[in-house]
Amino acid sequence: MFDLLNLAIDSAINSGAKYSDARILVSKSRNIAAKNGEIENFNESEEIGLGIRALVGSSWGFYSTYDLSRESLILSGKKAFEIAKASAAVSGKETPFADTPVVKDEYVTPHDENPFKVSTTEQIDLLLNSTEQMKKLGSSRSSGRLDFWDTEKWFCSSQGHEIFQNIIESGGGISSLSVGDGETQIRSYPQSFGEYRTGGWEVVKSFEFQNHTQRLAEESQRLLVAPQCPEGTMDLILEGSQLALQIHESVGHAIELDRILGWEAAYAGTSHLDLDNLNKHKYGSELMNIVADATLPGALATFKYDDEGTPAQRVDIVKEGIWTGVLSGRDSAAVAGVNPGGMVRADGFGRLPMVRMTNVGLLPGESSLDEIIESTDNGIYMETNRSWSIDDLRLNFQFGCEAGWVVKNGKIIDMVKNPTYTGITPEFWGNMDMLANEDEWVFWGTPNCGKGQPSQIGHTGHPASPARFKNTRIGVRG
Amino acid sequence: MNIWTELLNDFQKNIPSNVECELKMMHSKSALTRFANSHIHQNVDEESADVYLTVHKDGKTVSRSKNITAVKSSKEFIKEALKSLEESPKDTTWAGLTSKSDSHEGFEEIQEVNPDERASLVQDFVNEGKDMNAAGYCSTYLNNFFIWNSNGLTSSDTSSSAFIDGIFRTDTSAGSSHRGAVDIKGLDASETGKEAAKLAVDSQNPIDIDPGKYEVILGHEAVSTILIFLSVYGLNAKTKIDGMSPILLNENQFDEKVSLIDTPEDENSIGFKIDASGAKKYNLNVIKNGIPNSYFHTRRTSKELNMENTNHEFFGVDDYFGGIGTNLNLGKGETSHNDMISSVKKGIYINEFWYCRVLDPITQVVTGLNRNGSFLIENGRITKPIGRLRFTQSFIKSLSQGNVISVGDTSRYADSEFGEGMLKVPKLHLKEFNFTGGVSG
Repeated sequence: MFDLLNLAIDSAINSGAKYSDARILVSKSRNIAAKNGEIENFNESEEIGLGIRALVGSSWGFYSTYDLSRESLILSGKKAFEIAKASAAVSGKETPFADTPVVKDEYVTPHDENPFKVSTTEQIDLLLNSTEQMKKLGSSRSSGRLDFWDTEKWFCSSQGHEIFQNIIESGGGISSLSVGDGETQIRSYPQSFGEYRTGGWEVVKSFEFQNHTQRLAEESQRLLVAPQCPEGTMDLILEGSQLALQIHESVGHAIELDRILGWEAAYAGTSHLDLDNLNKHKYGSELMNIVADATLPGALATFKYDDEGTPAQRVDIVKEGIWTGVLSGRDSAAVAGVNPGGMVRADGFGRLPMVRMTNVGLLPGESSLDEIIESTDNGIYMETNRSWSIDDLRLNFQFGCEAGWVVKNGKIIDMVKNPTYTGITPEFWGNMDMLANEDEWVFWGTPNCGKGQPSQIGHTGHPASPARFKNTRIGVRG
Repeated sequence: MNIWTELLNDFQKNIPSNVECELKMMHSKSALTRFANSHIHQNVDEESADVYLTVHKDGKTVSRSKNITAVKSSKEFIKEALKSLEESPKDTTWAGLTSKSDSHEGFEEIQEVNPDERASLVQDFVNEGKDMNAAGYCSTYLNNFFIWNSNGLTSSDTSSSAFIDGIFRTDTSAGSSHRGAVDIKGLDASETGKEAAKLAVDSQNPIDIDPGKYEVILGHEAVSTILIFLSVYGLNAKTKIDGMSPILLNENQFDEKVSLIDTPEDENSIGFKIDASGAKKYNLNVIKNGIPNSYFHTRRTSKELNMENTNHEFFGVDDYFGGIGTNLNLGKGETSHNDMISSVKKGIYINEFWYCRVLDPITQVVTGLNRNGSFLIENGRITKPIGRLRFTQSFIKSLSQGNVISVGDTSRYADSEFGEGMLKVPKLHLKEFNFTGGVSG
């Protein structure tokens, strides 16, 4: 494969590109979805192809093809160059490009059981049994899904990189939906849209769906008759997976250097962060320590090299509440004058690599969830995301959760439905005053992060444990 | 197209006669020239050829997809699918293959657009706001779809489209605009840029206003967002089956000024003239004078709900997602933009919504924000630009009886949160829209 890649790269360089790199991917996926004890979707797919990029002046040219013949590869290199060159009609300052160690290496995601070698019957039965059980327990629509990805990736650059990686990702989830009079309520496990990690079939087995079906079915029905979440300003306690999404939306996207530099302005937006304030801006309370760590074993965004050949690494993003780091690639880092963070990835061979969150997580604190609840006089504990919305500066957000519990004088006293909360990023994080410890720290994964044009779906990780936020506006309704 | 002919011939030799089979191929050439900070920074071009195989036997169904390079041999691909079939449970909602009589041959050779043509349009756009920061894209697509099934159906079609979309930014504001057409020659990038530039200039130094219920005039993109949510989460028959649809057929659910037609048969409609099952699409009155007439159906949903199939199967490996209308036209009214503004005593003009998410599917309460051009309207004229507001509003109620004051007299392709080229809409003047938060949260 490396020979094929170098054929295309040489063609781009000989055409006049100042730098070129290319990837060949063999990507397999298996997706199974069940509803009410029956299979709703069972699909396996496989793609093989090449993506090559060439840097000319101020622009990247990128070309991708399924055709791996010698002629096609040579043509691909030329095309990448010509596409970049066409950008000269509307050019800017020459794009600098940071160096990264030139390596020849390989990496395979540590895993016990390759999910593609596990019998599909076993995987299908897991979903059929779980959804049938919830349906029998009164769920109006019980559903479940499993997704597995096996990506073999060969990367070469005009600087001499030769890297092979085999990334294996697994996950899924189940949910119970109850339909009432003009409303629906849902409970999901391990989190809404499922939980995903790097690893094999053992990831899914560890979820033990069968131990959660009864709770989900009961809670989704109980929510139909539960009172509405009260409105007001009070303490908010977030369960880990909701906090993970809060990190994703209000920290992860805001610290993407391509957004900060305006490269994503038209679509995804920019950021409220200004590089002049790096190492000065107060992002949150002193309990807030965020790291972007692509080396965490088992987390969803764990790999050895990114799609520019930069080694995976751990970068401090927020330290004791102060903003200290960004997510960067070799071009954006060079523009901003920081070290490249190894955070550039592409969604398949057909997409241009771009800055992507790795495992952007909140380091654990010292409390337990029980202690947080016991020390809360008046608040709402919210679990599992149901909706999310945030502005294009990553500042003004509103989240809805599947279930809420009223906390009074240190005790959970009532379940409430349609819980929502809203806030402004630095104020919200500034109000975090209690944070659960390592025992409740989970490597939550988000498999559906949309960014870029053409659209790309990214897999990101967000380790988090439950936390409390003082004086939060809760219970916004239409 | 040779690769399809060769693939099909090979498959037909290897498909056992006792298996129902559907074979599809999507061949695409897509390109996107992207600009930011007023220069082109990313320029991409992709050629893909994806093959989709569905086999059904003994009440079981399996779908597989590979791109053409991964199909090492048709014999092996079919063997893999049949092996999976043995391990699969019964498929109780199988609705059969599309019949031979629905065949439609629409494939044609079309020349792809080169990157210089796209760069030229980007230049035209950027030139309209030279003192401002421009960002956006110009994209072109050429898609060829082929389908054969063991009922004898052979269908094909070719679809081309082009889009220019961008914003201008100042230190305190932004303005956006968007255009779509079946051919890049149908795009006027200067007009698009001029519109975005004016919004950015006029939006400078916005004031914050209190949240609350306001009369609103919604620009094309904002209207498009409301309709795509109705389409995906309401008119999609799958949501009806799942108990999640707010749509009530044959009832006066919406204002009588609301008429929604799906127009795949129109010459200037973007997209294929056949659906993913290979059946010819036809124009459909979805909502007529405020009364919903039909959901968007696939083979499976029409069987399950015992309703006529409207041929809205979505492209992909199967119809798991349900049916989506992809050529939606909201009927134009007779009110000009200026007449809309002059009729408002106190209200808000919103160009575009952003990051909208459903809080409750049945009431279709959605939260989101405004961006890229929002203004306060007082005593019949735009008086001040305004900053960010968060709305929490039922999209169903926003179009309900009595809430639609007027419908704009011009419509165009507008971008939506689920993709471009799907909706052609006019502006809307609504009596009430609920804003629940301002810049301070």
